[in-house]
Amino acid sequence: MFVLFCPHCREKREEEEFGYGGEAFRVRPVAPETADDETWGDYLFMRKNPKGWHWELWTHTTGCRKFFVVKRNTATNAIAGSWTLAEGRNVYDAEGGAG
Amino acid sequence: MREPIPQSPLHAFGLASQARAVDEGCGVWANEIALLGYISLRGNSADPAFVNKVTSVTGVPLPVEPCSFATSGGIKVLWLSPDEWIIVCGGHRLSDILGGLRSGLEGIRSQIADNSGGYTQVLLKGRNALDVLQHASVYDFASLAPGRVVGTTFGKSSVYAHRMDEGFCLLVRRSFADYIWRYLARAAAPYGLGIAALEATGHAGHGVAA
Repeated sequence: MFVLFCPHCREKREEEEFGYGGEAFRVRPVAPETADDETWGDYLFMRKNPKGWHWELWTHTTGCRKFFVVKRNTATNAIAGSWTLAEGRNVYDAEGGAG
Repeated sequence: MREPIPQSPLHAFGLASQARAVDEGCGVWANEIALLGYISLRGNSADPAFVNKVTSVTGVPLPVEPCSFATSGGIKVLWLSPDEWIIVCGGHRLSDILGGLRSGLEGIRSQIADNSGGYTQVLLKGRNALDVLQHASVYDFASLAPGRVVGTTFGKSSVYAHRMDEGFCLLVRRSFADYIWRYLARAAAPYGLGIAALEATGHAGHGVAA
């Protein structure tokens, strides 16, 4: 169990209030109909699944029902921060998109 | 053809007939604040035209601060998310507020939906009201400040809760109302549960039927 800060409600809340949304900032192939099988398969099925820092989506299911991004360490559950999608994108890009 | 009769989600519990004045005999007092008008409103809180128009129709300053609510003249406006609010009013005010919003917000990006059948409210007070909420939810209700509204868990379901009348007001979805009332009654049983008579106070539609 851990506590997440919801950037929309601007409050720290229990994990139980949230839903997990998987890896953040995945890019859908621009033209799926012309993408080759490997590209499309990677988009559908392949995830980073790192041991360590991971950018992921969470949704505040019982509160504002908005999605936001969290940088969480999957090994220790340490949380570096949580941001709205737009703010998080800037931080993510500034880090070079690294996990 | 018979006129449809509005029925509250908790009508089967017959709460109105059990209601009595609050005394020291029970640790928890609760009742349903039934049959109010609920309007779901969505729009851009950064757009002054939207905010001003909603404020002028409802007479309540639109709360744009996260997790806050405002009430005035028997109308209550709850912040649910950065672009979503719920307006709670007496049933007799519903059609003029809906009409006012629909004509006033014409041309302004927004959504107005009459959700009156979709929600109800439960008033919870008494010396053990906080204990009942702690049995049911992960939120620290002791730290809930007046004027704040939080969406949080309640058993396997969820509610929006704020302080009211030295107690708490729970905004409950109709589909979960039965579950939440039974959960609440079960959690309150060790403290003694009384059905509180509702008095007309300044709050949105207290005791006002449709």
